[in-house]
Amino acid sequence: MSFDVSTLSARAIRDGIAARTFSAAEVVDATYARIDAVEGAVHAFNELTPELAREAAGRIDAMVAAGEPLPPLAGVPTGFKDNMNLVGTHTTCSSKILEGFKSPYDCTAVRRLLNAGALPIGKCNMDEFAFGSSTENSAFGPTHNPWDLERVPGGSSGGSAASVSAGMVAVSLGSDTGGSIRQPGALTGTVAMKPTYGRVSRYGVVAFASSLDQIGPFARSVEDAALVLNAISGHDDMDATSVREPVPDFTATLGDGVKGLRIGVVRDMLELEGCAAEVRSATEASVKLLEGLCAEVGDVDLPMSQHGLAAYYIIGPAEASSNLARFDGIRYGHRVAEPSDVLDLYMRSRAEGFGPESIRRIMLGTYALSAGYYDAYYGTAQKTRTLITREFEAAFERFDVLITPTSPTVAFKIGERAEDPLAMYLSDVYTIPLNLAGLPGVSIPCAKCGTSGLPIGVQVIGKHFDEATMLQVAAALEGALALDMTPPAFPLHRRSS
Amino acid sequence: MARDRLPVVLERYEAVIGLEVHTELTTLNSKMFCGCPVEFGGEPNTRVCPVCLGLPGALPVPNEAAVEATVLAGLALNCEIAPFSQFHRKQYFYPDMPKDYQISQYDLPFCGLGHLDIEVDGDGAKQRVDLGAEPYATRIGVTRIHLEEDTGKMIHVGGVEGRIAGADHSLVDFNRAGTPLMELVSEPDIRTPEEARRFAQKLRLILLNLGVSDCSMEEGSMRVDGNISIRLRGETELGTKTEIKNMNSFKALHDALAFEIVRQADVLDEGGRIVQETRHWDVTAKRTSTLRSKEQAHDYRYFPEPDMVPFEFTPEWIDAIRVRLPELPDARRERFVRDFGLSPSDARSLSEDVEFSAYFEEAVALAGNSLAKPLANWALGDLSAYLNAGPVALADAKVTPAMLAELVEIIDDGTISGKQAKQVFAEMAESGDAPGAIIELKGMKQVSDTDAIEAAVDRVIAANPDEVASYRAGKTTLIGWFVGQVMREMRGQGNPALVNETLVRKLG
Ligand SMILES: [Zn+2]
Repeated sequence: MSFDVSTLSARAIRDGIAARTFSAAEVVDATYARIDAVEGAVHAFNELTPELAREAAGRIDAMVAAGEPLPPLAGVPTGFKDNMNLVGTHTTCSSKILEGFKSPYDCTAVRRLLNAGALPIGKCNMDEFAFGSSTENSAFGPTHNPWDLERVPGGSSGGSAASVSAGMVAVSLGSDTGGSIRQPGALTGTVAMKPTYGRVSRYGVVAFASSLDQIGPFARSVEDAALVLNAISGHDDMDATSVREPVPDFTATLGDGVKGLRIGVVRDMLELEGCAAEVRSATEASVKLLEGLCAEVGDVDLPMSQHGLAAYYIIGPAEASSNLARFDGIRYGHRVAEPSDVLDLYMRSRAEGFGPESIRRIMLGTYALSAGYYDAYYGTAQKTRTLITREFEAAFERFDVLITPTSPTVAFKIGERAEDPLAMYLSDVYTIPLNLAGLPGVSIPCAKCGTSGLPIGVQVIGKHFDEATMLQVAAALEGALALDMTPPAFPLHRRSS
Repeated sequence: MARDRLPVVLERYEAVIGLEVHTELTTLNSKMFCGCPVEFGGEPNTRVCPVCLGLPGALPVPNEAAVEATVLAGLALNCEIAPFSQFHRKQYFYPDMPKDYQISQYDLPFCGLGHLDIEVDGDGAKQRVDLGAEPYATRIGVTRIHLEEDTGKMIHVGGVEGRIAGADHSLVDFNRAGTPLMELVSEPDIRTPEEARRFAQKLRLILLNLGVSDCSMEEGSMRVDGNISIRLRGETELGTKTEIKNMNSFKALHDALAFEIVRQADVLDEGGRIVQETRHWDVTAKRTSTLRSKEQAHDYRYFPEPDMVPFEFTPEWIDAIRVRLPELPDARRERFVRDFGLSPSDARSLSEDVEFSAYFEEAVALAGNSLAKPLANWALGDLSAYLNAGPVALADAKVTPAMLAELVEIIDDGTISGKQAKQVFAEMAESGDAPGAIIELKGMKQVSDTDAIEAAVDRVIAANPDEVASYRAGKTTLIGWFVGQVMREMRGQGNPALVNETLVRKLG
């Protein structure tokens, strides 16, 4: 038998194994062969886990041999962002400060995906502690966009995005605090979604901003993303912010179309200065297409959401400064040699262990929470957050889903924004308001840029816990667009390691 | 020394004292935010998990039983229960704190304003020179009660007596990390060391009655810190306060505050000024000393804990906790006085401890209210002496409430004398046999048969003509001697009342 694992969907892989067209072990071999071919150029992974993958594949093949029914993601090669714990692997968060750290416990979402039959292929590169929108802020070097190796894949879940885009895994998990799944999804031409806050347990994903973080999937199709969401959703006793909402089968309504659905185009966001013309026109074209499918399309403005970026850069760093306090060199990770006392141990371990963007966020957040500044910064940001949430609630009284671009631009060059944090922060202007409001959003590829050929993403925003309708719209658009999002062949070099 | 000078100092100065009481909720099955058990001691770092070790990615999930216990304590102390409350993060770096922040409560604690009434009598009442040394009752305000997590413990190696100074390295034991810790802050309504002691003692009794903690000051499951300032009598402005730590017993609490009052008075009398600082009570040297002067206002950067949702207690939920409030010692004491006719002091002694009062009530239920007084005497007398003397706890004592009730009934119906009963009690405590069986076995039945008593009295009168003559000549105090002779004649089994009565009649 011969098959190209780099293009197969998760469902096709599972069905192929179930039909004994190929075995899970063959899927593993093909996966690592593909990785051998392209990973050297892309650098999507911090760690590969062939032993774990083969072990998991062995269990799937034994089930096939025994004639047992296969779980929904049986034999599906999967990547995990390197801020998610998996026993037997390192959790680095792409930071030196977690040097040598191996978690003794599993992240709930990872465990659920593995229980659904997924094969753990490796841990994906990211911006250090998820601080960034380009995956350049990694202690282990940047990830390259498979569409153009000179360009970033977006971030912070850039490795998870690139691994799916480059055909190294069928699906992957990322985490999204301000757009860290959706923005790299847009820049790499993958389907990338952030579920409603509380839909997926955060237990075992290293926290960036606890009130904003959410785990979600990358896939090459809306259906695959829905399959992953099925597997990872639901209440977890280990996360007090995970909810007990019922979890529907998110694949069940994907084919229901958009006829009669009310779709709101967030007009003022689309008109935002800094939104590239090709991004704007691609978004308009998607809306037209949906209209053609008999959706009821209208415009809406979300002026308060334009303050989202400012609120986010208070709340995110504030929570991060607290969440990252534990990396102190006492119990795990990097500890400075020969500290003179405990304060010296703390200060030098952290100064050596954290990269510059992490230090910047910790300082921003510490400042925002300081006595005398708390009300002006953190207090105001929280009020803004409430207003943004209300603004969305009002919009959702008129619409079933909302549409915006995912990223104001296509993938930018490595190094282009590295020295300009503010320009980098603008990458997430469309995605951040959803995190502040706790809403679900999915980015799907909607066009290739006429000049560069780079992918452009469109963001569909759903109501709280209504990922189903959001994915239904995304699937309809995906079907109508029928884009081939296989990246162009790029010059391959063997992995150096 | 300081204690001796306290009365003189208190003539001129009034102390203003507020207490902070940390109580570990030791009776809960698990820690504050994880499933690890709550116990004292043990091999270091054996009762830990990703959550209480603060491993990357671990999240806190609040222990509902701890929240309920705190609200229960709030209700017992007449506190307002907040309809909306939440946890905050208190941030500072210390190696015994795994996350480098403590999950605590800030401006939205579970329990707001409440109070605790205390009574002061005996020598302690004399400290209130303004009240004239009479026994008195007073109300101490409770500012708030909140819940937080305890820290781990540092072990300093290489220095003297495990202190950090001079140590060459330190180890951390996280067994205690994450233990639910309830913090009560009192209003500065306390005026004397004795009131502070009574407040802490009564609070401990209530918490023991609620069953939320073992409240051991020695093991540190109840820790009391004091804030204290003094001012000239009549002055309304508050003086500069100091905070006193390491008061590991009620006596230490009293003595440390007494020392501090005298120390502050000496400073002021010499024209000095009180420095706002934290001071350490050295129980051996019997003095407080500077632990750390007020740091340049530590900024804990409190902010709402984003890993948990806020708490919204409905009136129905609060009522459901309220019905779990057990009878508290004060109410029980009143009931013992009212229903059993006990003296207030006996009633208090019997009502304080949950198990002891339950034991007593069980015995009364069996023997009847009419025997409550003798039962109280036995419970507070021989039973308490027995429990205090030995290693046996009440729950393991061989003397059951039924046996004590039976014993008191047997005394009441005159079968044995009180003196015999003491022997029976000792035997019961030793063997666990019922009193009836012991009396049977030892042939201890008290003789109330008047014929046998008359015969014995006649024999004693006949055998001691000289003493009979003296008695009849007016030396009536000899009656005791005669009773003793008759009892000996009857091998101790005569009914003493009947013996006495018969002797008086025949000698008279
Ligand atoms: Zn634990």
